[in-house]
Amino acid sequence: MAYTKEKIKDLVDGTIDRDTLHTMLSTPKDGDRFVKYIEVLQEQVPWDDKIILPLGPKLFIVQRASDKAWVVKSIAGHEFCDWRDNWKLYAVIRVRETAEEMEELYPRLMAPSTDWQVIREYYCPTSGDLLDVEAPTPWYPVIHDFEPDIDAFYTEWLGLEIPERAA
Amino acid sequence: MPLDKKNDRSVQVLGIDAGGTMTDTFFVDADGDFVVGKAQSTPDNEALGLIESSREGLEHWGMNLEEALADIQTGVYSGTALLNRVVQRKGLKTGLIVNAGMEDFHRMGRAIQAYLGFAYEDRLHLNTHYYDEPLVPRHLTRGVMERVDMFGTVVIPLREEMARTAAQELIAQEVEGIAISLLHSYKNPDHERRVRDIVEDEIKKAGKEIPVFASVDYYPVRKESHRTNTTVLEAFAAEPSRQTLKKISGAFKENGSKFDFRVMATHGGTISWKAKELARTIVSGPIGGVIGAKYLGETLGYNNIACSDIGGTSFDVALITQGELTIQNDPDMARLVLSLPLVGLDSVGAGAGSFIRLDPYTKAIKLGPDSAGYRVGVCWADSGIDTVTISDCHVILGYLNPDNFLGGQVKLDRQRAYDAMKEQIADPLGISVEEAAAGVIELLDSDLRDYMKSLISGKGYSPSSFVCFSYGGAGPVHTYGYTEGMGFEDVIIPAWAAGFSAFGCAAADFEYRYDKSLDINIDEDGSADQKEAEATLINDAWAELSEKVLEEFELNGYSRDQVELQPGFRMQYRGQLNDIEIESPIESANGAEDWDKLVDAFNDKYGRVYAESARSPELGYSVTGAIMRGTVPIPKPNIPKEEEGPAEPPKAAKLGTRKFYRKGKWLDAQLYQMETLTPGNRITGPAIIESDATTFVVPEGFETWLDGHRLFHLKEV
Repeated sequence: MAYTKEKIKDLVDGTIDRDTLHTMLSTPKDGDRFVKYIEVLQEQVPWDDKIILPLGPKLFIVQRASDKAWVVKSIAGHEFCDWRDNWKLYAVIRVRETAEEMEELYPRLMAPSTDWQVIREYYCPTSGDLLDVEAPTPWYPVIHDFEPDIDAFYTEWLGLEIPERAA
Repeated sequence: MPLDKKNDRSVQVLGIDAGGTMTDTFFVDADGDFVVGKAQSTPDNEALGLIESSREGLEHWGMNLEEALADIQTGVYSGTALLNRVVQRKGLKTGLIVNAGMEDFHRMGRAIQAYLGFAYEDRLHLNTHYYDEPLVPRHLTRGVMERVDMFGTVVIPLREEMARTAAQELIAQEVEGIAISLLHSYKNPDHERRVRDIVEDEIKKAGKEIPVFASVDYYPVRKESHRTNTTVLEAFAAEPSRQTLKKISGAFKENGSKFDFRVMATHGGTISWKAKELARTIVSGPIGGVIGAKYLGETLGYNNIACSDIGGTSFDVALITQGELTIQNDPDMARLVLSLPLVGLDSVGAGAGSFIRLDPYTKAIKLGPDSAGYRVGVCWADSGIDTVTISDCHVILGYLNPDNFLGGQVKLDRQRAYDAMKEQIADPLGISVEEAAAGVIELLDSDLRDYMKSLISGKGYSPSSFVCFSYGGAGPVHTYGYTEGMGFEDVIIPAWAAGFSAFGCAAADFEYRYDKSLDINIDEDGSADQKEAEATLINDAWAELSEKVLEEFELNGYSRDQVELQPGFRMQYRGQLNDIEIESPIESANGAEDWDKLVDAFNDKYGRVYAESARSPELGYSVTGAIMRGTVPIPKPNIPKEEEGPAEPPKAAKLGTRKFYRKGKWLDAQLYQMETLTPGNRITGPAIIESDATTFVVPEGFETWLDGHRLFHLKEV
């Protein structure tokens, strides 16, 4: 099964028709999906660095054009850190840790007690885009969500060459 | 046939099956001869396709439309326009009035509506589930304060001023119809009727004409979601259909017809396009086939029939036991739960257009659940389809004649199918294309066989007591496959298999049916007084329903004495989950003795449907509903009866041979022209009997003969 790049674009944009979406969900993944998917994303970002792996709707691991180093970069162009690092440590962070701050989001008495749980929001320093949210206990370290084995993903899952990477 | 010669044929019946792609017409003359016409459907103005299809059909008889229409006494329509309107949720702007506090239940729907119509895998696969937009959006829904409990007792009186405001607000929003559905109104209709009158009053005051649909006037049955959905459908989708049918009727009248069109309805009868309850014409095609099989069975003496129909997208099976259909009470359609009586029909998403794919990880062959539908498959170059389908296998293996698909209207390309099959299935599996295609066909056959077997044995029967009817465009191609080894008493393929649904529509009664929910509970040894009280309850319900049925017939100009009424009821042993529908042995129920007669009829049928030993009178009895059906006599198609002649098919019927692959080898299959075969002819496989609209495959090891009614009988030798 293969879909046109337009369909994959519709999927990314959330405008895909119900029938195609259903077929996508119900059948094994199309072999060239990742390539088309990355192509669509690449066209939607304002910079030219090659996307290696998306981390979220507005966050990517990219190959920096100038030196081929892999870094975490937001759609607004902010470079956070090396791709193996936890990007959240370089983001602008807001912690909701009082009842008042919780009540901006939830009706009174329907939010978690902040002694037990806080909400940490991670923003892009350049654009102010909200990139991620986590809801841990107050003392918990910043969570490193995802440490992808990109080499295995490219070679063993996708059957693609690993893009060049500066050491 | 020379067109200048005066034709003395008298055409009696016209059946129409207006599908999404093709419009079939089916004409029957006074001798029972029939002809099938086909034309592309014209969704913008259905009348055009219908007239075209009729012309095409009548041409085979050398008749023109005006000549034929002058004699026709009855015309029955079945089509998919109403269903499509609901599936696409493109209906009229409808307002809804419900109980205050209950305004969201229609929008929330029932959880099952999130996956209705899905294949089994997807029902389990939560990510695929979704809710449709409601038929009536929240801003067109209003609540009215009142409450009637499940016993019909008024708990909160109706606040009439709220009904008035609700009506005014909906009128101001320019709705095109208003549906009213209050809790438990089937038990006590007073409040709902009062709301209806208030709404009608407000509409009049506003100087507008907006139709009002109170659930209690249409579907006085329990289950709010079902009842509300169905009532909303009347306003939302059925009214536009009424206009379409009016237009079609008009178009035929312009061409000289004198009859009024009737429409196939879910309960298995036909109703007029003027009928109040038009939502029940939502599906009709597949039912037509079942009604046709029942009619054939009644005429020719087959009591137990397994009806099977393969089209492009699905395999439909229905059972007729002891000459009776099963009626399902809460069917679902277009992802909505409804309260319509529907002829019981089980369907699985495997048809001639089903896609074939390989699981990239396990290399298992997977059929469907989606399909190319009317676009056939890769073998049709213009289809735009690039995934191989069952039809592609048929073309590769010589089952189908690529130059005579739909009488040559669509040219199929065997090489295209072959190449695609090689690339997508055969090469990845490391087998030959023939083996791959034959493997797929075997897989489909065994799937269909298992499905059919589980349906029949699941209801406690053995196939050996059933005659299997096979029809639909693709049915006869596979009949041998899904009946092989099943041990049916007989396997029958009507020579007009492709037009069988249209035939069934023409054979259906002119029948209205109304249902009402009842809650009657009584011990096995209830007192005579109790029995009398229950009999009165049923009798009152029958009287109420009879009125509605008679009103419908009056709309069509039938006086009350012309209508034959048949009361019925649904009964179960108390505490059991499933009720069964019983035709009442008595016309009216008065007194304890009559109650006993109803109970006897139930016990008798229960024993036949399940087993005598399963009867459980000690539980007591519940009546869950009353039914009233009314019919008037109408002309029906004759079933042909010709003398059986020689076993050897006439020379003219032979069309040469074609390479045909099955069980690992290519053989030369003898080809025959279906219409040229004469009654009595016997054909031993491998043979392929072709007609414009269908292909009947008789592989080696099978034999078929044509009887005097133009029915083929298939058997293993």
